[in-house]
Amino acid sequence: MKKHNPIRNIIQKEWRMLATDLQTIMLVSLIPLIIVGQVILYIWIASNFGDSIAANQFFLNSLERLRQSMPPASGLSQSQQFLLLLVSQFNFYLLLIPTMIAVSLATFSIVDEKLSGSLEALLATPVKTWELLLGKALSGAIPALVVTWICAAVFLLGMAALGWGNLIGLVVTPTWFISLFLLTPAVAVLSFLLGVIGSSRAKDTRNAQNAALFIIFPVLALVAVQITGVVWFTPLFTLLLAVAIGLIDVMTLRVAVRLFQREAIVIKWR
Amino acid sequence: MPAIESYGLTRNFGQITAVEDLNFEVAEGEILAFLGPNGAGKTTTIRMLAGIIAATSGYAIVAGHRTDKDIDRLHQDIGLLTEAPGLYDRLSARRNLEYFAGFYPGLDSVAQAQKYLKVVGLEERSEDRVGTFSKGMKQRLALARALLPEPKVLFLDEPTSGLDPEAAREVRELIANLGREGRTIFISTHNLTEAEQLCHRIAVVRTRMVALDSPENLRQRLFQREVVIQMESITRQVLDAVTGLSFVRKAVPEGKDLVVELDDALSQRPELVKGIVDSGGRIIAVNERRHSLEEIYLNLMREAGHEKA
Repeated sequence: MKKHNPIRNIIQKEWRMLATDLQTIMLVSLIPLIIVGQVILYIWIASNFGDSIAANQFFLNSLERLRQSMPPASGLSQSQQFLLLLVSQFNFYLLLIPTMIAVSLATFSIVDEKLSGSLEALLATPVKTWELLLGKALSGAIPALVVTWICAAVFLLGMAALGWGNLIGLVVTPTWFISLFLLTPAVAVLSFLLGVIGSSRAKDTRNAQNAALFIIFPVLALVAVQITGVVWFTPLFTLLLAVAIGLIDVMTLRVAVRLFQREAIVIKWR
Repeated sequence: MPAIESYGLTRNFGQITAVEDLNFEVAEGEILAFLGPNGAGKTTTIRMLAGIIAATSGYAIVAGHRTDKDIDRLHQDIGLLTEAPGLYDRLSARRNLEYFAGFYPGLDSVAQAQKYLKVVGLEERSEDRVGTFSKGMKQRLALARALLPEPKVLFLDEPTSGLDPEAAREVRELIANLGREGRTIFISTHNLTEAEQLCHRIAVVRTRMVALDSPENLRQRLFQREVVIQMESITRQVLDAVTGLSFVRKAVPEGKDLVVELDDALSQRPELVKGIVDSGGRIIAVNERRHSLEEIYLNLMREAGHEKA
């Protein structure tokens, strides 16, 4: 007999459903490919036009911060420094992967159940609201996270393949690890929780998706502040950010439970 | 102890009262039909009793749990067949059942799914996706889902609605079997035949409780007992003799039939027959006239409508 675990039960069911939906699988794998492709394009641009772009006043401040935080970078040419600046942003770009997948997956999670009528049957079982919402969020966040880590590995392999292997040692820093294994999971869970909230409050799938698009903006802002050098992500700062977002995850789950109005969902959705 | 007790259960939606002051009990092992027109509050009542929505006032005790205080334990002891089957079309029948069974602590989800797939006759289609099922099969599967936790009280919201006659019959047979097992079942329906075939008592509702009794008692209450006496011919003497009997309320000839309304058709019938025979009448047959549940229901609805007006 299986051990009683409602969250695992929800995750398994969501994955089984996902496995039968080829269109969504394609979409979910396409987003990371686009992001990795984008970064490879940046590498190519930087390797060809690095000097002229790096000379732009906009990036000078960032390059200065780069040299301060990574002294070995001072020995590199300006184009190589600029390249390093770009590739070191990749772990923040990676944050876009779970957020964008959340827009595709999480936004349908509750709306679909409402429309099919399965939610009322589900609410008549002993499942608790937080279990339902966390299960829904994790069922999307876990694969999104795995895809993100695969992308990170592919990116490093790509760097080596393109002849930038000498920069890998400067990219794979404590910040990189903290970002990948603490910040990214925290952001992934947050994105999916926000998506699930949007889905439980929306009137239809389109409405839910529109609301969830706002999830992406904070992550884009994070990338922007890093690339412009406004805030430099040191290991400590990244760690604190990951912890803060982890706490926000817990608070968001509590808010999600409060916003999940069982009655309104059952009565208004027929 | 009753399986369901309702005390002044009321639910308002804004200015609209969907259910008002429902007071009733359902005994253990009883099957109760909840009859009423669309918008009478049947589904709202089921949702309140199943702890899915809260009552505006009043409360109920279902399977020993208060619907306003003990929802977690209530949900472990009830089964609900919703109006729409609400199944996952892309999952197999077995996976659907295992998923829902997985929410009940202490339940072997695999064994329960297997057991109830067999009960509803879908064992051979257990690995097929639900999306390939007919409406009737989906309804049977949804019924299996409601039975998974071995509920003390089973709520069925319009169980045969939208099904073809054969599928409806199959579902009705399943419900009848469950009734024979001694389960407490609360059925919301507007199918009168279904209600009469399956249920011990009938509750007629129109926002408020209009009537609650067995079909037989409702008949007796609403219509005077009528006896139809088939005769060779109805003479003046026979008619005078019958109308002269103190317990006869009315006697109307209908061709060769004499329709007599009595206070109590059972005990007064021999006296009536004696009176007819003594006045020279020749009787071919004596039958009791039964009113259909439809007549009872329409009568009650008319009365409720007048009261409301």
